[in-house]
Amino acid sequence: MSGLSSRAWFVSGTAALGLVVLVLLALGAGRYPISASEVAAILWSHVDGTSRGGTADAVVWQIRFPRIGVALLVGAALASAGAAYQHLFRNPLVAPDTLGVSSGSALGAVLGIFLGAGFVAIEVAAFAGGLLAVGAVMAIASRLRAHEPLVTLILTGIVVASLLGAAISLVKYLADPYNQLPAITFWLLGSFAAASGGEVRSLLPAVALALIVLLTLAWRINLLALPEDEARALGVDTKRLRAIVIAAATLATAASVAVSGIIGWIGLVVPHMARLCVGPEFSRLLPATAIFGAAFMLAIDTLARSIAPIEVPPGVLTAVVGTPVFIFLLARSRRAF
Amino acid sequence: MTRLVACAGMVAALAAHAVSSFAATRITDATGRAFDLPARIERVYAAGPPANVLLLAVAPEKLVGWTRAPHADEIPFLPPSVAGLPELGRLTGRGNTANVEVVVRAKPDIIIDVGSTSATFASLATRVQEQTGIPYLLFDGSLAETPRLLREVGRAVGASEAAEALARDADMQLADVAKRIATVPEAKRPRVYFARGPNGLTTAPRGSMQAETLALAGGANAIEPPPGFSGSLVNISLEDVLLAKPEIIVASDPALAASLKTAPAWRDVPAVRANRIYVVPDLPFGWFDAPPALNRLLGVQWLARVFYPQLFPEPLGPVIKAFHRTYYHREPTDAQVRALLDVAGIAR
Amino acid sequence: MLDVRDLAFGFGSRRVGSDVTFSLARGETLAVLGGNGAGKTTLFRTLLGLLPAQAGSVQVGGDALHSLSPIERARRLAYVPQQHVPAFGFSVEEAVLMGRAARLSTFARPGESDRRIARDALARLGVEGLAPRPVTELSGGERQLVLVARALAQEAPILILDEPTASLDFGNRARVLSEIDRLRGTGLSIVFSTHEPDHALTHADRALLLAEGKPLALDASDRALTESNVAQLYGVNVRRVMAGGARSVFVVEEGRPGERR
Repeated sequence: MSGLSSRAWFVSGTAALGLVVLVLLALGAGRYPISASEVAAILWSHVDGTSRGGTADAVVWQIRFPRIGVALLVGAALASAGAAYQHLFRNPLVAPDTLGVSSGSALGAVLGIFLGAGFVAIEVAAFAGGLLAVGAVMAIASRLRAHEPLVTLILTGIVVASLLGAAISLVKYLADPYNQLPAITFWLLGSFAAASGGEVRSLLPAVALALIVLLTLAWRINLLALPEDEARALGVDTKRLRAIVIAAATLATAASVAVSGIIGWIGLVVPHMARLCVGPEFSRLLPATAIFGAAFMLAIDTLARSIAPIEVPPGVLTAVVGTPVFIFLLARSRRAF
Repeated sequence: MTRLVACAGMVAALAAHAVSSFAATRITDATGRAFDLPARIERVYAAGPPANVLLLAVAPEKLVGWTRAPHADEIPFLPPSVAGLPELGRLTGRGNTANVEVVVRAKPDIIIDVGSTSATFASLATRVQEQTGIPYLLFDGSLAETPRLLREVGRAVGASEAAEALARDADMQLADVAKRIATVPEAKRPRVYFARGPNGLTTAPRGSMQAETLALAGGANAIEPPPGFSGSLVNISLEDVLLAKPEIIVASDPALAASLKTAPAWRDVPAVRANRIYVVPDLPFGWFDAPPALNRLLGVQWLARVFYPQLFPEPLGPVIKAFHRTYYHREPTDAQVRALLDVAGIAR
Repeated sequence: MLDVRDLAFGFGSRRVGSDVTFSLARGETLAVLGGNGAGKTTLFRTLLGLLPAQAGSVQVGGDALHSLSPIERARRLAYVPQQHVPAFGFSVEEAVLMGRAARLSTFARPGESDRRIARDALARLGVEGLAPRPVTELSGGERQLVLVARALAQEAPILILDEPTASLDFGNRARVLSEIDRLRGTGLSIVFSTHEPDHALTHADRALLLAEGKPLALDASDRALTESNVAQLYGVNVRRVMAGGARSVFVVEEGRPGERR
């Protein structure tokens, strides 16, 4: 055990260090040319209060810094939610949108765009939509046959998500093709381009709260990975613990989708990568997953805004980059999930 | 005997009618499909919003309906006889909502569509034509070609005279603007950024169909199209905007303009610093790009004044009045004109 | 320790079994036998509090089962399910540590003393060497022993094992049973279900035979497991033969029950 534990700390520690390096690189990357020394000077000027503004300062401080913050938070949130869901459903193929949070958020945002709401209102609508969708799934599932609670949850989630998807299609159909439809399409593709200090401030409490809840309950969450009877016989109130974990994961996911649109793959694959490195024990898995997710998302977003003159949707890149990495890790691993 | 004469007369009249119906107009539309159209066209169906605006201008009495019913705030700008026409939906283009049976029930003699003429839309046009038996003509909607478009459509719907008058007016407008700005060298043209979308980072780059208004008014589109670009809109990042250093921003709606003025990240954009953010008026039809039809001519007049106030000293108010009267067949009141000028950010 | 009176059990509107009455004293071992579908698993789930009793009462250590919280139940009853391939590859030590859940507060993490108890549980079963291995890489018999270790880590006085030798090969079966024997002498009360009358004879003090949910016999193993009882239970002709020393085993004979050669 101590061998595995120290390896886990080593992996997490290295990842955290890598993350810091990545942040510094990301601050220097971008379409607006700023040298590394200039970046350092600008950062320092904000630390000691001598910042004088100017375009380069705005680019680093107003554009890149918040965008990096949002990417880190979204990456950590989606990956952690994915890890929690995979434990919860005892299934390594589950993703955070299994219970419909992405569809609910998407519908909220799409309705906001359709009704001509402002940017902030759209984000709020997306957040609320995600929470409501999962709430509905939980409410419906709890009234159905409880003997197989997980299967019931997943099936209800699929049905609700499908219904929400139909509603989204309907709104797209009715939307004005010149004004609203492009906005809807671009929102659904996902993007960090609109990240500002406001997004960081709204994302941080939601993600922090969710992660804290998951971290403090981390050891108990291991027990959810056991068959229902066993967990209950060990004294765990599985229904309540499940509800809390779903609530925390949904909070983090809805907040992320509201800010940056739908970005798939991170919640499904990063937990796998982390598991392959540190094992499934959740109190070790969660910090590693969060760090891996943050780093991965930041790398993807930095690529997305640097490799082409236009913004590449991050969801496209996560699939393109992540798939070979995942296959490589799978081929090399000797562990089970 | 009288009965025989009456019969002969009827037969002759029928024959004449038949012959006159067959006195066809030969038209080739922009996709190269040739049509033999009857000389008398009474009912015309507009397949999309640009065709709608065009037909409103050329032959409002022949229009059978709207692709989208006019909003309450658009109605005061439209002639009452047209404003009350039924909503029939859009046939093709992004987001078609028309039921083909609804179209058939409206019994149009001809369907007119203005917009992209690519193979996709050509085949869609052919398909609707086969389904309904109604001739479906597709025309190119480029702004610079508006005079030619007017003449061709005028001929197709049997309103050549009216169309000729409009075509001459459009020609004159475009030629006049082009002549005055021809004297301005490329380097002196103002750099303009067109902002769309909830966060202002969706734009129509240089060469895009949706930015024609800007180009024809003599502005220099601040955003270069990415390689291989063939559409109308792109998403960019704020860093690209800062790099492009636009002196003027044209925003698609007032809420967006307001948010750009206060967003801290946009503060260093030259256009924001100089407070040169203009909002596109959109009553009854947008002046810039929505829909992408001849309504944009007014936008060209507007932006020419914004970009080159010295070269275009004539006030915009009378131009608006004349334009609405000519193309929308309803002269706006002074109050309506003032409201439009307010949105457009122009004093007169 | 465990007092069951006129217990009726089932789920939803289905009644699976009834009229079960027995008392389990400290240190006693009870084997429960019955054909497939006789209700053994449902009975166990009711005894563990996973299903509500449909009639009658269950008392654990003098307290009514339904009045105990899940944590209290877990401190008094330890469940050993049939071994199965798990979804995730926890290490053996991590898996056994999960047995400490009822002894830790919600936000607490296992400490050094919990780890020591887990290691001791593994040692008692002779498998402490497995501690760092992932459970997905163990054999069936090893996994079953790990599940027993987890139950021991609960430090509950009553152990309930559901068919602990199912799907194990001959050798692993013997191994698991001998470990259970070793536990018998340590003051634990044990209930286990089995399909093998031989196991009940050799490894249990008393036997409860369930036929279609109703108790066919409840007595000391030797007296409960008669040829006719076993024949009735499984629908086969059996003969009980001596197998060396004081041991006897059951041998299946040809012919229908009741027919004698």
